[in-house]
Amino acid sequence: MFKLDRKLIISTSVAAIALLGVGCVGGESAPTFSDGVNGNISIDGGVSYPTINGKSGNYFVNESHIGRAINNGRVPTDAEEAKWNTDVMAGYVYNEDPKALGLPEGEGSVEEGEALYEAQCVMCHGDFGSGGGGYPALSKGNAEDLQKTLTNNRYQDPQADGPTRVFGSYWPQASTMFWYIRDGMPHPKSDTLSVNQTYALTAYMLNINEMSIDGQEVDDEYVLDRAKFLKIKMPNQDGFEPNVRGSDSLPGVRAYYANPANFGAHKVKPAERCMTNCQETNATVVRIAGEGISQFIPPMSIVRDLPEKKAETINVKEVYSNACAMCHDSFLSPGSAEWAGYTAKGIDKVYANGINGTETGMPAKGGANLSDANFKLMVDYLISGK
Amino acid sequence: MNNKKSQEETTIDRRDFFKKAAAFSATALAGTSLLANEVTGEGDPAIMHHTKWGQVWGDPITTNLYGVPSPYEHNVTRRSTSLLSSGNFRASIAVTPIHESQGIITPNGLFFSRSHGGTAHVDPNEFRLMIHGLVDKPIVLTLEQLKRYPSVTRTHFIECPANGGQEWRGPQFNSVQFAKGFMASAEWTGVYIKTILEDLGLKPEAQWMLAEGSDNSKMGRTIPVDKVLDDAMIVWGQNGEALRPEQGYPARLLVPGWEGNLCVKWLRRLEFAVEPWYCKEETSKYTDLKPTGKAIQHFYANEVNSTVTSPSPEIDWSHLEDGATVEIEGLAWSGMGTITGVDISFDGGKNYVEAKLKGLVLQKSWTRWSIIHTYKKGETLLLTSRAMDDAGYIQPTIDEETKIMGVEAVYHRNAVETWEVTETGKVNHVQIRS
Repeated sequence: MFKLDRKLIISTSVAAIALLGVGCVGGESAPTFSDGVNGNISIDGGVSYPTINGKSGNYFVNESHIGRAINNGRVPTDAEEAKWNTDVMAGYVYNEDPKALGLPEGEGSVEEGEALYEAQCVMCHGDFGSGGGGYPALSKGNAEDLQKTLTNNRYQDPQADGPTRVFGSYWPQASTMFWYIRDGMPHPKSDTLSVNQTYALTAYMLNINEMSIDGQEVDDEYVLDRAKFLKIKMPNQDGFEPNVRGSDSLPGVRAYYANPANFGAHKVKPAERCMTNCQETNATVVRIAGEGISQFIPPMSIVRDLPEKKAETINVKEVYSNACAMCHDSFLSPGSAEWAGYTAKGIDKVYANGINGTETGMPAKGGANLSDANFKLMVDYLISGK
Repeated sequence: MNNKKSQEETTIDRRDFFKKAAAFSATALAGTSLLANEVTGEGDPAIMHHTKWGQVWGDPITTNLYGVPSPYEHNVTRRSTSLLSSGNFRASIAVTPIHESQGIITPNGLFFSRSHGGTAHVDPNEFRLMIHGLVDKPIVLTLEQLKRYPSVTRTHFIECPANGGQEWRGPQFNSVQFAKGFMASAEWTGVYIKTILEDLGLKPEAQWMLAEGSDNSKMGRTIPVDKVLDDAMIVWGQNGEALRPEQGYPARLLVPGWEGNLCVKWLRRLEFAVEPWYCKEETSKYTDLKPTGKAIQHFYANEVNSTVTSPSPEIDWSHLEDGATVEIEGLAWSGMGTITGVDISFDGGKNYVEAKLKGLVLQKSWTRWSIIHTYKKGETLLLTSRAMDDAGYIQPTIDEETKIMGVEAVYHRNAVETWEVTETGKVNHVQIRS
């Protein structure tokens, strides 16, 4: 049965139930204004709608299952839990219990990480994590220096430098990087890297962001392991509000969102809202610069006509631009001389690798939805460049 | 009218039509829609001639046993843009044509779609949901077992917190589909997580829940137990049928009113713990950088918001005649409560009058509003809508919001939107700011 000894939650929500019961529940009348005082707000600063007498607002609710055991499903085996429970926590509390933290034992060097990066990541994330391939940049230079750009705000001056938000300068925890590399990368074939490879790639991320661990620079010779990883302090770890660290952070989160000034929100009693002369006197009409963003897929149209019959043949340049360019512009580009090293093994081998995908990063058919025949046309185009 | 006479008339009409066909087809080819309702010769060809569907068999009833829209509606579709995409449109968004939306329900095929590793196609036979961590009894459920729990059905919008987030520093999209269409609304069916927890028992020290997807990005987010024990749901039904793959088939999280990103799709795991997880999408992204250099994390609710949806840059007033009575219509919504009212300004937010709410007004739901207007040919308007909710919030002006949030926050922009009606009836997206 549900434990009702959850004092933290209950103390707030019971008060909310009592107060909201007066104003917001009971029939089809229009919702009424509540000023969000006396605790009748939920953690997000909004209101919650408890069920009272079988109704929540306009909704009828059948609650007669409460108190009856449902006994659904089964208990997972230890092996099943271990297989899926691969998250890595930041561990302000869990440091005391290394198993709960989820960070496995292992090690990897910057050197190994760089080799892996060059083989499996660079085609999307760019040289040294510079981005530019349509995927996020992973580094823009020294993490400590770039963390200081976070106060940059292009509020008045559009030409000013904005803030730089990359792993080293912005992310509060390194655990996020380790976890995401292992479970979510590389994008077209995730969950294929070993623990040691993940340490190596994480080490390389720290290296290109020019970071240090425990006073020691993560240089080209650095070998990262679990003990060292736990000592990483991200430059921007204190850059976030409200605080969510520790075993009792929720009261602070609730308090944060109880104050609209913290998050740019405005409260007003309906009768007191501005109806005349509301706009700032120096406000002007700002229009879209140039065409704005208007390259829509498909192009905007409200015409009611019959769709054009789709062409039977593919436009290789268009398919390339939509499905291949992101990676192939920088690696084995159309007509590149690099292709010679691949075609030497025979065109059938190139076709097969493309259709089935490869260990070194080529997703099957590049992830494009093409027949084998049309895919071969794409391969021909990439090799010849025409 | 007797049958014989009717047939004769039909025959004459048909001859007459074919004689005129050449003239009509010239107009049709020029792209003038028959919707134009104009008289040519004796009358509107849409009335005077026989339609091609009016005298022949239609499709047998066995055609399209799962129905699809009329092919003429093919332009009513989600749209994307490479500027909002990375990874060959695998980490990308396709937005809802709210300029064509009716009421407060979005058809499943038009529901906005966002993924972080592409749309996963889950075999429902291999769907498993694991609920573990700080619960007395961890469990694994099949889809059939999940759907056996007592269910609830609720209408809620889901909104990407970056809806409008490209326009902190100025307007960018001359389109309501792109300016405000990072959202959609549906009637969802599923189970409250608190109903499942009644069975499993939540340990008192549990404060946070991780929700994790089974897609290749293993999209995860952390949610405080307050919301888990309030109205967070696991849903499998969307507008009376199974979720679409783009919406997380066969089951996703629904966190009413909160960031769409929290409504984890292709769900496979819920874990409870003392501390939050610092997932990629709650640290590197989905955090609001303020001018102080601090960023808001765990910024949950989509705040009170609204927009005019008609007229729009897409469907403007350039065809309206002087003196036409026209309905200015829009949507209002709040993830923090229920819409209590919407004001409309014709001068860009200097002066407001109250608009009327329309239809059902539900908790954390899209709400329709409108005002009837007499159009004067040549008039110029700045249409600004401003919504309020029962939590007491009202939409700020752009200046009021940016004063606190700056212009680098990306997410949770809910300042009032303005749509300019020009002398010719064209509509432009503009901003009023100092």
